[in-house]
Amino acid sequence: MKFSLSRESLLKPLLLVSGAVERKSTLPILSNILFDVVDQTLTLTATDLELEMVASTPVNNQGENGKVTIPAKKLLDICKSLPEDSLLSFESNAEAITISTGRSKYSLSTLAATDFPNIEEWKGDVEFKIQKSDLLRLIESTHFSMANQDVRYYLNGMSIETEGNEIRSVATDGHRLAICKISNPELALPARQVIVPRKGILEIIRLLDPVEEEVQLFMGSNHIRIIDSEYSFTSKLVDGRFPDYRRVLPRNGDKVLETDKDQLRQVLSRASILSNEKFKGVRLNFASSELKITANNPEQEQAEEVLEISYPYEDLEIGFNVSYVLDVLNAIKESAVKFTLADANSSVVIEGSETSEAIYVVMPMRL
Amino acid sequence: MKKIIHIDMDCFYAQVEMRDNPEYREIPLAVGGEGKRSVLSTCNYLARKFGVRSAMPAIKAKQLCPHLKIVHGRMQVYHEVSMHIREIFSRYTQLVEPLSLDEAFLDVTDCCLFNGSATLIAQDIRNAIWHELQLTASAGIAPNKFLAKIASDENKPNGQCVVSPDKVNEFIEVLPLRKIPGIGPKTSEKLASFGATTCADIRALSIKELTPLVGSFAERLFNYSFGVDNREVKVNRVRKSVGVEHTFADDLVTVEECIAQIPKLIDKMKQRLQKHQDRVIAKQGVKIKFADFTLTTMEQQSLALDEDGMKNLMESAFQRGNGKTVRLLGVFVAFAELPNDQEGDERHQQLGFVF
Repeated sequence: MKFSLSRESLLKPLLLVSGAVERKSTLPILSNILFDVVDQTLTLTATDLELEMVASTPVNNQGENGKVTIPAKKLLDICKSLPEDSLLSFESNAEAITISTGRSKYSLSTLAATDFPNIEEWKGDVEFKIQKSDLLRLIESTHFSMANQDVRYYLNGMSIETEGNEIRSVATDGHRLAICKISNPELALPARQVIVPRKGILEIIRLLDPVEEEVQLFMGSNHIRIIDSEYSFTSKLVDGRFPDYRRVLPRNGDKVLETDKDQLRQVLSRASILSNEKFKGVRLNFASSELKITANNPEQEQAEEVLEISYPYEDLEIGFNVSYVLDVLNAIKESAVKFTLADANSSVVIEGSETSEAIYVVMPMRL
Repeated sequence: MKKIIHIDMDCFYAQVEMRDNPEYREIPLAVGGEGKRSVLSTCNYLARKFGVRSAMPAIKAKQLCPHLKIVHGRMQVYHEVSMHIREIFSRYTQLVEPLSLDEAFLDVTDCCLFNGSATLIAQDIRNAIWHELQLTASAGIAPNKFLAKIASDENKPNGQCVVSPDKVNEFIEVLPLRKIPGIGPKTSEKLASFGATTCADIRALSIKELTPLVGSFAERLFNYSFGVDNREVKVNRVRKSVGVEHTFADDLVTVEECIAQIPKLIDKMKQRLQKHQDRVIAKQGVKIKFADFTLTTMEQQSLALDEDGMKNLMESAFQRGNGKTVRLLGVFVAFAELPNDQEGDERHQQLGFVF
């Protein structure tokens, strides 16, 4: 193999695919990126056996077509630190590949491309186009509620559901739940539900820009794939049954509070300074004309904040993990928020006052 | 009144091996090493008929049962199975306290499934384990951890035993003391020489009279004898110490040989400590098991792992052997207690969804 390309035309696909490279793998080849040169195109592939990222770039091919795998981190570090607009020449021999530009020459040891794992062939049975900004909003509205390393492994990811002209994302860690729905009258989708693993979701967020450009999305029985003009991203799915969010939505909420989001957020984040560092509990006392927020820590230090509100119901005292509420307030785009409450042992529903594209349910804490 | 379930997998490692290797199903089987000083992790029920037991030296087991098949454990597999079992538990309650890979306490007081019948919940958990993993478990159902743990052993394997609140007295009165966790062969001998063989006998004594026999365990034992145990099911068990030990194929003879082992043991312990970087070390110590199986430990206060300190401890501990050779060496550190932790767990209870 012998080819050359500019530093910039390599760096972009290299950065894209390196997100899938496994850092702590027991399988050495997973720390490598597969380089596949066919005619004037170089295709880069990285995988951790769960995710796969593929990106391509044009090259000036001066030799045979061929494949080889190259250590990802070292290659990326070298590329990043070479001067801008360098022209990089790659030449491979039996067990190494040489990268040269000007007076610089780096030789990296390679592993055989034949050993590089392929995600098995699969066919998507649901396929649609979606704006990058919409897909990003769908995921960013709920991703923070995903569980992390929970024994209920099916919670360590996000449920993506399609039905008619609607696409939903649902995430829950068992204490809180987030749902976001977007619809597009042009879509006519079958009813399907898949669980995308946590790492895949975080990688998708990294890949997507909030722009008005379409990507193609494929869902199969075991995989999900996003194809963009510059890359193709594939993730295995979590094999499990995601809980039905409808069972968790409370129906007994009869007390509605609307208030300014930023003001509430500021007050809560201030009060959280003196909450217990581990449990993050804050107490909310709703009364007819004011909401009192208190927090205290094991050192017996205390925070108290009062907000003027209109709450024409019976008084209510309820505790929450303040981080859960702040995560929700940070995710809601609108300037006013609506809380629907029932009692101290029932979950609260939080949503933007205007639209209800995203709905959040948070279970209380006994303090 | 609480509803506690103790779930215990039947001869866990051996059962997994029998599930995955049909040729092991009809023969006495043990999981462990076969070296001259190896100890069995567990054995199947066929092997138990020959008197083979968990934690028995492989050599002794072979004497009791010459055709015993001993296989190496596959921890990775056991771990995966264990995670699956914990996921099953999570369908019933979030209050799960794992004791090891194959054992856990569940507090199902607030579980509404099966109209809150803990007996049916336990049955359903065991069914799920069987259907999803083709493994059997036994269960004890009782108003507290102590009774649940003893009950799970009553109808082993693949059985369960309920000690309902009105049957506690009946159950406890005739309970042989040897079945109480914490009472081994020696203590039960000591108690027997005092005429105490059942819980009813313990009730006749006072904590004061018990203390010389069982030390600080007296108060708890006294409560146990009335079926009382107020320990909560703790979701986050706080690890108190981390240690590493090694049994040598041939005894170590000199103190220099023992000291020379310290760096290796400490290296291994450092790996294990990586998972506990948030904890503060309070003590470090060494452990020696001599050729006659007598055990000695020596520890010192220390805010960090200190190799030279360990070597000094080893030297002093070795002297206690009066020339006896050494079969096992260990090093350990104990962590400082976490401040306010338990209190916090009860005062900050995050409620969860019931899916």
